[in-house]
Amino acid sequence: MQFIVEDVDSHLHISVNEPRIDAAIATQFKDKLREIVNRNRKPVHLDMARVEFMDSSGLGAMIAVRKGLPESLPLVLLALTPNVERVFRLTRMDSVFDIRAA
Amino acid sequence: MNSTEPDMRPVPDSQPMFNRVLRASPETVRGTLQDIRSRFADLVAEDTLGRLELVLAEVMNNVAEHAPDMAADGQPVIHLCVVRHAGGLACALTDDGASLPDECLAPRNLPRATDMPEGGFGWFLIQDLTQALCYYREGSRNYLAFSVPFASVS
Repeated sequence: MQFIVEDVDSHLHISVNEPRIDAAIATQFKDKLREIVNRNRKPVHLDMARVEFMDSSGLGAMIAVRKGLPESLPLVLLALTPNVERVFRLTRMDSVFDIRAA
Repeated sequence: MNSTEPDMRPVPDSQPMFNRVLRASPETVRGTLQDIRSRFADLVAEDTLGRLELVLAEVMNNVAEHAPDMAADGQPVIHLCVVRHAGGLACALTDDGASLPDECLAPRNLPRATDMPEGGFGWFLIQDLTQALCYYREGSRNYLAFSVPFASVS
């Protein structure tokens, strides 16, 4: 489970360096990402460009990370690939996440 | 039929298919999904393939996640078959895992997005992305069949 973390002044830019967020790594994904965002207490931009596939356990992990952040701290999802965007759209979770093109 | 004579019957149009028998674990499910993608990559549009992959991930991970406690036997075994036909990809799965609760197949609503639920999406996605979904239990096995259409239904 790999994240590339860059601390730019205004926020944390985190690139997910995994092709799949599925049942095999959802728990690890959640735990590790939570640890990073909780340590830094900054707005988070999560770059998903490399993630080609996500299932409902991956979505659950993403929701858990969002819930673990104070509401005042934004979590922006960047560059969703079509298969990942589909899961957010079909479950209507695109209405509660801040999703941006890139 | 006399085995010395060649079989002169016309060969029916064969359709691409994928068959696999696998242990229901997240890792073998992942490997199987990647193999299915390779199998159909040149034969099916990417959008259809993406929907197929998501549905099969949800179905097979459910089998793994809700496996009965069978310490001696390990995880349930899934038999999976996917065949391309005229309108889409026909899928049939059997497994010797836990029986499927009725509510999985009942019409479902999404959990409210604003409640930020961390689960409960799997069967909604399966129902949303498939056609002709049917299920029955026979003895210790589940039988599930459905089709993933070429044209998106949602």
